[in-house]
Amino acid sequence: MKIDITYPPAEKSGQWRRSMLAAVKWPMLAAAAICPIVNYFVGGKAWSVIVLVGLFAAWRFIFSIDLVEYNRISQIIKILTFACIILGLVDILLVPGWALFVVPIVCTVGLGVAALLFFSDLEKQEHNAFPFLLLIFYAIAGSVVGLHYKHGDGRWTLMLMGAVAAGLLVLCIVIMGSGFFRELRRRFHLR
Amino acid sequence: MKITTVAEFEEYVIRLEPEEREKLEAFFSEFNLHCSMSFVEKTALRQDFERALLYYAKTGVSLDDALELLAMRNLGGFYARPPLLWFPLDDAAKIYPFSMEHGKMAVFRLSTYLKKDVVPELLQMALDFTIKRFPSFATTLKKGFFWHYLDTTKRRFSVEEEHLPPCMPLHVGRSGSQSFRVIYWKNRISVECFHVLTDGTGGLEFLKALTAEYLRLCGVQIPESEYIADVNKTPDTEEMENAFARVPHAAEASGFAGKPAVQMSGKLSKCKPCRVFHFRLDATALAEAARRHGATVTAYVMAMMFVAEKAATDAVKGEAVFQVPVNMRKFYPSKTVRNFALYCGIRMPFKDTTDVDAILPAIDAQLKEKASKEAMSSMLTAAERLVNSLAIVPLVIKFPVAHMVYGFLGDRMFSNIMSNLGVVKMPKEMEEHIESMDAVLGTVSISRAACTMVSACNVATLTIAKLTMDPTFEEKMLELFQKEGLEVKVEGSEIYED
Repeated sequence: MKIDITYPPAEKSGQWRRSMLAAVKWPMLAAAAICPIVNYFVGGKAWSVIVLVGLFAAWRFIFSIDLVEYNRISQIIKILTFACIILGLVDILLVPGWALFVVPIVCTVGLGVAALLFFSDLEKQEHNAFPFLLLIFYAIAGSVVGLHYKHGDGRWTLMLMGAVAAGLLVLCIVIMGSGFFRELRRRFHLR
Repeated sequence: MKITTVAEFEEYVIRLEPEEREKLEAFFSEFNLHCSMSFVEKTALRQDFERALLYYAKTGVSLDDALELLAMRNLGGFYARPPLLWFPLDDAAKIYPFSMEHGKMAVFRLSTYLKKDVVPELLQMALDFTIKRFPSFATTLKKGFFWHYLDTTKRRFSVEEEHLPPCMPLHVGRSGSQSFRVIYWKNRISVECFHVLTDGTGGLEFLKALTAEYLRLCGVQIPESEYIADVNKTPDTEEMENAFARVPHAAEASGFAGKPAVQMSGKLSKCKPCRVFHFRLDATALAEAARRHGATVTAYVMAMMFVAEKAATDAVKGEAVFQVPVNMRKFYPSKTVRNFALYCGIRMPFKDTTDVDAILPAIDAQLKEKASKEAMSSMLTAAERLVNSLAIVPLVIKFPVAHMVYGFLGDRMFSNIMSNLGVVKMPKEMEEHIESMDAVLGTVSISRAACTMVSACNVATLTIAKLTMDPTFEEKMLELFQKEGLEVKVEGSEIYED
């Protein structure tokens, strides 16, 4: 067939992530399968659960990044969520008794970083407010639940997290004004 | 704040007469009124004007004429206002975000071939002026709690020289990223759209408006016409509507599921598509040939495709199923430039696929029945029921399930696609500068070919986007066209496989 070529030679850059995903997929799946087996036969604490969550976090951060809403706010929140889950699991499965003190501190720092990123470029980040608002909501909810269950020393970290989150929520409403409610309408539409 | 200028433009300004310099200053003062974006975007937009002015100066267009062509009224208020609009995805678009993967995205391309090479500086300006007319295109995909949606983004949308295979995935994740791309190569202007934005008809409206604006900037006088959207007219609300919502429900709902179709036997390529072919035919001769067979052009070409499909597979039993998108605007007139198309499946058992004449009546009959208003209404009712039943399921749950279901079904139900966008109408003054148009589908992942057909300026172009290196299908198609006495000019790409 005689063809007039009317297209330029193509660059080979577009598919690198897909190739990388194909290359690391099976080694990671193998690791995910082997760890619980080794853990089961060696016995002891369930460290393999933490390895599995770690592998999943690595997969989501390095190899299979978000296709929609890959922005600085959403990524900070993702890091924070995985960090808190891993810290919580370490507490539950390996060394108990400290997570309710440490996790709120980590969350408060995370809230601070997310707030800095959000308010420093408000015009653009206003359209990424939802993940930030979700983080605030989770922090307030976590604080209320934590304070309900935790008694004695070390409650101040939970109070701090709740107070910072509530303060940021008020700040968001004041600064974003009608944009705050518009963002909620967009994000919660049903049709 | 001082806006950076193109270095060459500064030299050009120095050489101007004082009164010309004053005119230019007044021109850019007006620019500041029309643009209140971030510094980076504002600079980029201003530089577009500078490059266009330089181009006009180099080609001997007077400054007065250049300033008139680039007049600030063409920017409108688009770049001066904050991005407040948002659009829920229409019923057909809701599935596309669920089907996305790294390296896989439902993207299609529409192209216009001009009689002269494209001037990138003017194409960029044409896009800067056209985008305001299509607010639903100036959007970024976002995640809601229940559904994805399109969020308006105000930025300078860029034009690029073609350097990738057609229909490569767009990076829509970043804040304010484009959900479409405008690319050029020699005399070709192409628009590649993520399907969440629009369908072929809406995409054609955008491409025609962009091309008309580009030609205007080249000095071509195109009269106002019902076929071309006036880029300086305020967009009609109807153009942005989810037109599916206006369609009355059918009594019965018919589902989408079906058994997997037989595919061509060639090995799937890594790069999708791995090659593109454009068969250019005389539209009148093609219509005449179809008439001789007593069929529509779509049915006639599909009959050839079924024969070619059979030649390209080793399977001896089973059936080939072709997906045929159906433009709902023909049943429910709408000005929407968003998705308003459904599809039907035309089936043909391999044992019955002997030659074109033998299968044409069956294909024609199936097309009449399955692409009818009633059949489409039933499918739409099923789609609406599905959407309604999933409405209150949070996206975080819906996404993995829908992604898995889509991955399982995908386009396995179809062996091929035949999307006929029909005859593109435009004013005679515009046609004089256009050679042809075509469309490329990048929406399939299992089917080894996806075909589209567009007729413009009496050139009918059948495009075959291939997902396998096996050349049997296109060779058989060419043979069948030639056997019918139709002259075919074949254009296309090299093989993209690495």
